[in-house]
Amino acid sequence: MNGRLFLVKYGEVSLKKGNRPTFMRALRLAIRRRLPGSSVYESWHRIYVECRDGDAAAAAEVLRRTFGVVAFGEAVRVPKEMPAISDAAAGLAASFVQAGLGGRFKAEVRRADKRFPLTSYQVACELGDRILRDVPGLRVDVHRPEWVLAVEIREQAYLYGPESPGPGGLPVGCSGRGVLLLSGGIDSPVAGWMMAKRGLGLEAAYFHTPPFTSAEAKEKVIALARVLAGWDPRIQLHVVPLTAFVARIRERAPDEETTLLMRAGMMRAAGELARRRGAGCLVTGESLGQVASQTVESMAFTGSRTDLPVFRPLCGMDKEEIIAIARRIGTFETSTLPYDDCCVLFSPVHPLIRPDRARMSASWDRLDADALLVEALEGVETVRV
Amino acid sequence: MIYLDWAASAPSEPAALSAAAEAAALHANPSSPHPAGRAAAAALEDARRRLGALLGGGRVVFTSGATESNSLVLLSVLDRTREAAGRRPGVVVSGIEHSSVHDQAERIAALGAACRVVRAGSDGRVRPDEVAAAVDRDTVAVSIMLVNNETGVVQPVAEIARAARSAAGQRRLIVHTDAVQAFAKIPLEPGSLGVDAASLSAHKIGGPRGIGALWLRGGMALPVLAAGGGQERGMRPGTENVAGAAGFAAAAEARLARLVADAARARDLAARLSRSLAALPGARLFPAARADGETDLCSPWIVCFGFPPLPGEVVVRLAGERGICIASGSACSSHKRIRTRVLEAMGHDRRTALSAVRVSTGPSTSEADIDALLEFLRADLAPHMAAAAGGSPPRGGRG
Repeated sequence: MNGRLFLVKYGEVSLKKGNRPTFMRALRLAIRRRLPGSSVYESWHRIYVECRDGDAAAAAEVLRRTFGVVAFGEAVRVPKEMPAISDAAAGLAASFVQAGLGGRFKAEVRRADKRFPLTSYQVACELGDRILRDVPGLRVDVHRPEWVLAVEIREQAYLYGPESPGPGGLPVGCSGRGVLLLSGGIDSPVAGWMMAKRGLGLEAAYFHTPPFTSAEAKEKVIALARVLAGWDPRIQLHVVPLTAFVARIRERAPDEETTLLMRAGMMRAAGELARRRGAGCLVTGESLGQVASQTVESMAFTGSRTDLPVFRPLCGMDKEEIIAIARRIGTFETSTLPYDDCCVLFSPVHPLIRPDRARMSASWDRLDADALLVEALEGVETVRV
Repeated sequence: MIYLDWAASAPSEPAALSAAAEAAALHANPSSPHPAGRAAAAALEDARRRLGALLGGGRVVFTSGATESNSLVLLSVLDRTREAAGRRPGVVVSGIEHSSVHDQAERIAALGAACRVVRAGSDGRVRPDEVAAAVDRDTVAVSIMLVNNETGVVQPVAEIARAARSAAGQRRLIVHTDAVQAFAKIPLEPGSLGVDAASLSAHKIGGPRGIGALWLRGGMALPVLAAGGGQERGMRPGTENVAGAAGFAAAAEARLARLVADAARARDLAARLSRSLAALPGARLFPAARADGETDLCSPWIVCFGFPPLPGEVVVRLAGERGICIASGSACSSHKRIRTRVLEAMGHDRRTALSAVRVSTGPSTSEADIDALLEFLRADLAPHMAAAAGGSPPRGGRG
């Protein structure tokens, strides 16, 4: 293909010994699925992405958002011969200077093909000489270079300049699937992102209570799921109507238990949804002590409504730390739109902070919740985002 | 569709549409001295003269709307900062003001002014003696609205102006009123009210959006912070909205010509709605006096009520599903305290304040519209009232 070439480095996936082929396949597939028309292949411990000229920006964007990618750079591929390698090195160096990367550089050579006649050090010296000769105003600085010209001698020779970081982590899907309890807030999208980073494919569940919550609130959650789709393109959003269940809580339970029982019902419904969708865990955006329903006692109760593991990746984080990630992954602006996912009616003025487990279980039993929640799941609307 | 949100923005008066279209054809800049510019300037001045006549004299400064008119007045207070030799210039507003007065007052307080907020009584009225008590020797402006945009309560602005001036003694005091929900809706002559400035908006009376005015007592000028081309005698620099001004004047003339008959019909509709609401289980009128048939207290064009604790936002949403457009001053949110400010300033608790819904009518609103609304309230709210009200009493125990 006559176009552009990206060299992709992966870290952790290569350590998975027996599972390595599975992980590598997942990573290649994750990239290939999002870059139709490009060629994605693995060779000598690198993944290469070849794309048309016009697709290069999109390819870089995809690599920046593909979990499992540690770093990537645009590369030049030449035959494994010194004259070709030197010419390419001089050309790249000139382009880096023109792009304003600076005057201090070094060449870093990795000789994966040990049959190549020169050692890494010899190749580096030769390229340094050639670059200094061809491009005026440069200086070699092996300790504090402003840019590095990397050369990898494999089945062919690859040359590339500054790398862009990938998000790290594991390819999405290779850790299974989980149901993310997605609200319109700041935390839950971040929680989903963090688990997707560890390879979890996401099924998002949003609990909608019309007419107490608005269509705008639902649209906001769909918009958040779309942002997450930039990281997990296969994410689906299940909108679960919860109004009847909430009405039952209001009818049968005291005000101060409303939030806890709602959360418990969401856990129960999400657990059942996970079972139906073949997902093996739940993910929430809870952070210890952030609100009344996120104390140890509250989470002990709400978590007890499902037998699946509940992952709470934000549990040990401060709000500021969570916001910083939300900004970085692009969910913050949407999360702070003024449409609330929970009506003030269902937020008691004095919610329970340290609920008594026996009392809450008794309250739960009085709700006869399961039939209502099954009914809610029958009414699920699945949005392909 | 049944439109009962006229206080937010009214359907266009046909005369306003044609006047605005005609003036829009005068494309030139009114500040240009050539014939085309003079034609545009003439249209602008014609609109100004006609609006002035409808207001019983004084000066009309065109603005982009009442929000800008209000901020022109409040920002002028800051100019006194230097005069006041180390003292903070003061402004007195009420807790039931529109956010373009209330929040702007907070903004200028952050910039060095002193801002005092007077609460309203449970009847929704601001008391003149309380305003007078808030006026001190540093007060340079008082701003109290004429008709509250959420409850429709008419404020005793004439008495407030008198009381405030008497409290200020010899010192000069600017008394301003936000008359957006009053102009061309109830009889209004700002001069006879005793105020120095009044804010007006066109689109609340069938004129175009994006045009309003600040009425000033004759000979009155305010210090202005914005500079530019000197338009509107320097009060509001920027190329004038000629089409908007023409549409504004035409709308005001059309509405005022029919005002007596229109207002009488509106009063009947408001009474019909209030009476029926008073008989509906769970309904509350704000202010409560409305349930007793009190009509002098409020504008005939606005009726405010609720079904606490059902949030007003929920009622608005359900009404929308039935094709009925009404408004809620509140949002179904635990964060937006600001949306419940007006009813809380009248002494209502937060849950009650959140329940408020505003119905606002116009000249073409019919009895059938009101009856359709009532039918919706009777039939469609009940299923949600149970979820709103909750059943079990709080229990004791830990937590």
